[in-house]
Amino acid sequence: MSARKLPRLLQTPAVLLLLVWMLIPLGMTLYFSFIRYVLNNLRRPEWTSPSLSNWRGFGNYEFVLNSKDFLFAIQNSLFIVCSILFLTVILGILIAVLINKTFPGQGIVRVLLISPFFVMPAVNAVLWINMILDPVLGLQGIAVGSINELLDSLRNAPLLGWFFSLWPDLAPISFRATQTSAYAVIIMVTWQWTPFAVLIFMTSLQSEDQQQKEAAILDGASTWSQFRFLTLPHLARPIAIVVMIQAIFHLSLYAEIEIVSRGNGNKNLPYLIGEFANNNIGAASATGIFAVILANIVAIFLLRMIGKTLME
Amino acid sequence: MGRIQLKNVTKSFGDVQVIPPLDLTIEDGEFAVFVGPSGCGKSTLLRMIAGLEDLTSGEIEIDGAIATQVPPAQRGLAMVFQSYALYPHMSVRKNIGFPLRMAKMAQPEIDQRVETAAKSLNLMDYLDRKPADLSGGQRQRVAIGRAIVREPAAFLFDEPLSNLDAALRVGMRLEIGELHERLQTTMIYVTHDQVEAMTMANKIVVLRAGVIEQVGSPLHLYHRPQNEFVAGFIGSPKMNFVTGTEAEKHGAATIGIRPEHTVVSMSKGSWKGRVGVAEHLGSDTFIHVHDTGVADMVTVRVSGDIAVKHGDTVYLTPQADQIHKFDAQGLRL
Repeated sequence: MSARKLPRLLQTPAVLLLLVWMLIPLGMTLYFSFIRYVLNNLRRPEWTSPSLSNWRGFGNYEFVLNSKDFLFAIQNSLFIVCSILFLTVILGILIAVLINKTFPGQGIVRVLLISPFFVMPAVNAVLWINMILDPVLGLQGIAVGSINELLDSLRNAPLLGWFFSLWPDLAPISFRATQTSAYAVIIMVTWQWTPFAVLIFMTSLQSEDQQQKEAAILDGASTWSQFRFLTLPHLARPIAIVVMIQAIFHLSLYAEIEIVSRGNGNKNLPYLIGEFANNNIGAASATGIFAVILANIVAIFLLRMIGKTLME
Repeated sequence: MGRIQLKNVTKSFGDVQVIPPLDLTIEDGEFAVFVGPSGCGKSTLLRMIAGLEDLTSGEIEIDGAIATQVPPAQRGLAMVFQSYALYPHMSVRKNIGFPLRMAKMAQPEIDQRVETAAKSLNLMDYLDRKPADLSGGQRQRVAIGRAIVREPAAFLFDEPLSNLDAALRVGMRLEIGELHERLQTTMIYVTHDQVEAMTMANKIVVLRAGVIEQVGSPLHLYHRPQNEFVAGFIGSPKMNFVTGTEAEKHGAATIGIRPEHTVVSMSKGSWKGRVGVAEHLGSDTFIHVHDTGVADMVTVRVSGDIAVKHGDTVYLTPQADQIHKFDAQGLRL
């Protein structure tokens, strides 16, 4: 008995600390989500301090569910997360396979590839939206402008001018607009997180058994078949890891959304929580509980899906 | 059909030539074993035949057609690797069927061929298992199964038994020998174990540092080794070499006597010595004799049991007709 008691006793502080760390915020969120609690209300000053006498039951949840942004935020959260996952996994595999071969300058290329990961999210967002995606001053604006200029001069060319006059001018896309701000977030986060996927896939590719590949070559497998039947199954677990970690991180995107459009046309659940939390803590807490539920559903769903399809 | 010819084949890694120009012919249906100490280039040679390594120069012909530029899969050769190289994500059935699937064969025919191969290798009960759930011997059989279904012109084995324990190795040795008798297909087998070479081969190719030292049947190599290296490599325990005046008596720089060709007596003989370690195996006794004055240590093999122990004095007499004579360059006289 005592042989078991001592280790348990020694573990207790750590376990308690973890529990406290998790349970207190969760408990407080639950508590706030069931009461009326606002930061500022002149007519009902009693609502400005949390108290059980302000009990609202599921009123906050009802309020959140009925607010016009809630369903949109959930849908948009999933759209952003799934798009980023799809793009980073595909790009990550392609780049990892590409740089897995030995070539001169390999070390430098690898360091350069990893570097986007070390840029702060807010900096990343500012850089992209102002320097690259801006329709006038950014790289996009400059590129579109110079292509249009080139087209213009080609239209005036003798003989072939009529052909190019059939071509329309290119119009730059404003990525701060309601319709496109989600794409901007997807682009910049994909750029930042592809290196993470590359890093994980690269290490996994290096542990691939070369004799299996040779056996496959002798068995008549084409390069594609080797990739499909050996490399991809070998990457199943790292893909699951990348998807899981990224899903958790990207469900809570905030800085990019704030910087691109201040939530205009592009909200996710954390952003909605932030908006509610400007005044209505009760509603913000209720949204937080919804976010916890959504994260769990996504996690279970992803794990099942990946486990089944890729592990064969 | 599977006649493999190597013509003037060389291989260099950078500036290092691991295989100097080499000629070799393996006839259809032969069981050829490449044997030699590690690093002698035997695996490289096999991989060159398979097409996994490029030739630096020279030609490889398979059935009379030059195959040097033919991609590995089209050479009609099947290889069994040391690590088995099974595909870990596929069941045994899929592993064995993989080369057929890659050849775009119809599924019913694949199934039928896989079943036939599995039956002949006693793998029927394991067809739906993954390689990780199999024992070493079973994995080895799956690897052989994957080679058999392709009905190749020749099988290439790269030290296939070295990952198995001793008992299993003997069993698999017999199975591979049996397989060769049944299929009568050319097999090239690489090993560093001269026992495997002696027991399985029709033709042994002894290699040292990329150079063929001797080619011949196991017994030919045993009875008439062309040089000291082959004499020392083939046979277990190793041949004893004697130099100096004792060798000069026979008109040679070195003479070699196999342990089993020495008569042991407690009372009289040519060389007197002191017993070091005596290994009693029951069927045989290996006696390591010191202080004979002719060599550091002379090993002798006596059939059956003989009552000698550490420190005993014994007399050794080599059988006159079994003495191998070598000149100063180590070549057979």
